[in-house]
Amino acid sequence: MSAMTSPTMRVKLPKSVTAGAPFTVRTRITHPMHTGLRRDSDGELVPRQIINRFVVRFNGTEVFSASLEPAISADPYFEFELVVHDDGDLDFEWIDDDGASFSLQRRVNVL
Amino acid sequence: MDNDGHDAGPTRRNLLKLTIAAVATSAVAGNSSRSALASNGIDQAILDFTGGTIPREGEVVLDAPEIADNGGSVQIRIAAAGARKIALFSDGNPNPGIVVITFAEDTVPAATTRVRLAGSQNLVAIAELPDGTFVQTTRPIIVTVGGCG
Repeated sequence: MSAMTSPTMRVKLPKSVTAGAPFTVRTRITHPMHTGLRRDSDGELVPRQIINRFVVRFNGTEVFSASLEPAISADPYFEFELVVHDDGDLDFEWIDDDGASFSLQRRVNVL
Repeated sequence: MDNDGHDAGPTRRNLLKLTIAAVATSAVAGNSSRSALASNGIDQAILDFTGGTIPREGEVVLDAPEIADNGGSVQIRIAAAGARKIALFSDGNPNPGIVVITFAEDTVPAATTRVRLAGSQNLVAIAELPDGTFVQTTRPIIVTVGGCG
């Protein structure tokens, strides 16, 4: 079991999106991304615990994904550009080494 | 002690160890594109990603600061026209892998993230192109305060 507090997820999207035109998405989740190589104040190794996978789906279809290693900074941040042609739901999912999944859904309406 | 009182045996052994270490170090430095200190397995990690192909130098964008004051969080942008997959590797961190990003056909093949760098080193971005070939770009970064562990 993780002793962490529950992560906070943030997703920034434009207020409006044009069909077929790229729009910027910025995402961040609060997470210490323990590398497994650091020691705590008592000299004990802190076990590895990271977000190892981040997946973005639009209406259920994967549009962007990342496989993360411990070299990704704490509070993993990703910025990327998506293109959609219709209204739909963007689902953001982060997966922890301990198997926990954190997700967020945002509606996208095209002009 | 079974060889108590004998001559310079231990000294000879130490000398031999040093020689072996020196030979091993030059073997690791065999790939001329890497820093002489690169011994974190980056070459094998790249071959694992490409399925054994050695990438050619090519059109991969790897935007990074030339000097990073805080190795704990260095902003990096990777992009490659037409790519469906881009991987980022380190030759100076304890482990070579950093991230592998997959783009759907409609998604712009570019992404920005923040990485930990243990010290000054080279970053390598490798893109898989639609024809199945791999291209790479290498970028040296000077890190004034390391951020790994």
